[in-house]
Amino acid sequence: MIDAPDPDAAHPITGLDDVVHQRVRLGILAIAHEGRRVEFGYLRTQLDLTAGNLSKHLSVLEAAALIEVEKGYEGRRGRTWITLTPAGTTALADEIARLKQLIARVETSDTPEDR
Amino acid sequence: MTTDSLPANGDPRQLLSDVHALARRVRLDQRLTWVTLLVLAVVTYLGIWFDVHFMSVHCTAEHVCRFSRQGVLYYWPPVLLLAYAAIAYSYIRVARARGLGARVMPYAITGAVTTLLFTAAWVAERIYWAGRALPANPQPTPSWVLFVDRLIGPWGMIGIALLVLARLERNVALFAFTVGYLAVVLVPINFGWIGNGGNTRTYWVPGQVISATVLLLGAAGFALAGRRHR
Repeated sequence: MIDAPDPDAAHPITGLDDVVHQRVRLGILAIAHEGRRVEFGYLRTQLDLTAGNLSKHLSVLEAAALIEVEKGYEGRRGRTWITLTPAGTTALADEIARLKQLIARVETSDTPEDR
Repeated sequence: MTTDSLPANGDPRQLLSDVHALARRVRLDQRLTWVTLLVLAVVTYLGIWFDVHFMSVHCTAEHVCRFSRQGVLYYWPPVLLLAYAAIAYSYIRVARARGLGARVMPYAITGAVTTLLFTAAWVAERIYWAGRALPANPQPTPSWVLFVDRLIGPWGMIGIALLVLARLERNVALFAFTVGYLAVVLVPINFGWIGNGGNTRTYWVPGQVISATVLLLGAAGFALAGRRHR
């Protein structure tokens, strides 16, 4: 449930984290959270990215300590697994809460006088 | 493709909708519901033979019978534990092959706990009846006792564990299926085979056949739905 937004409170957009508030990185966090751990190839397919582009986003998230990257082998095949850190879980939850606040704010300010 | 902080379509509704769609996609890719139901159906079908074959029945001249479902007691606990281990292994293996982690362990643990619970209840019941003489004029068992007996039997416990799996997977279809399955298991179905002086040894067979068939049909249904989804 979303509380009615307080008009005097800081606008939710001011609390958005640039690292997380990005479509691809938010997608990575959402998939890693739901999947417990996720393989590089799965992320690439689901997000429709090139390997280079995905690596770039993963580096940003890893530098912010939101994910852990584990490289290993399965047979002869190299595999990279991504796991969300506790900070990543919190960041994802915060981002979703802020998005909901933003939606609520837009909906309440979208009165007939505004149109 | 962009690496900008502000997305091309920065509408929060769209972002939130994308997050939910991705999470849903992952959950679908982690599921292996049909395998779970198939394993449980096979185990239930096999259990019928053990129940009938290893049941000990002693009847008096007055046709009062004492029976002990040895097959249920000795077959179900180890086989159910093995079944839950096999299900957990399959989930982990398939999820891993698809590039994901699995969320099946709480289900396997619940399955193991409910198996131990039903075993303890059945052993306690056995100990209770062991030293007692058969009543000369036995009264019908109260319906609530029969209900509890069906609930704590392996067939009821399978349903309870399936509810946990449905919750873990946020699988509404599995939840609805399990409610239906539990209704079939817990509410006695009688098409005339109960109360007509039938054989004690085969008294429970129809109910078990129905439970196993429901699980098998469920496995087929979820397999078809999963295939269509992929």
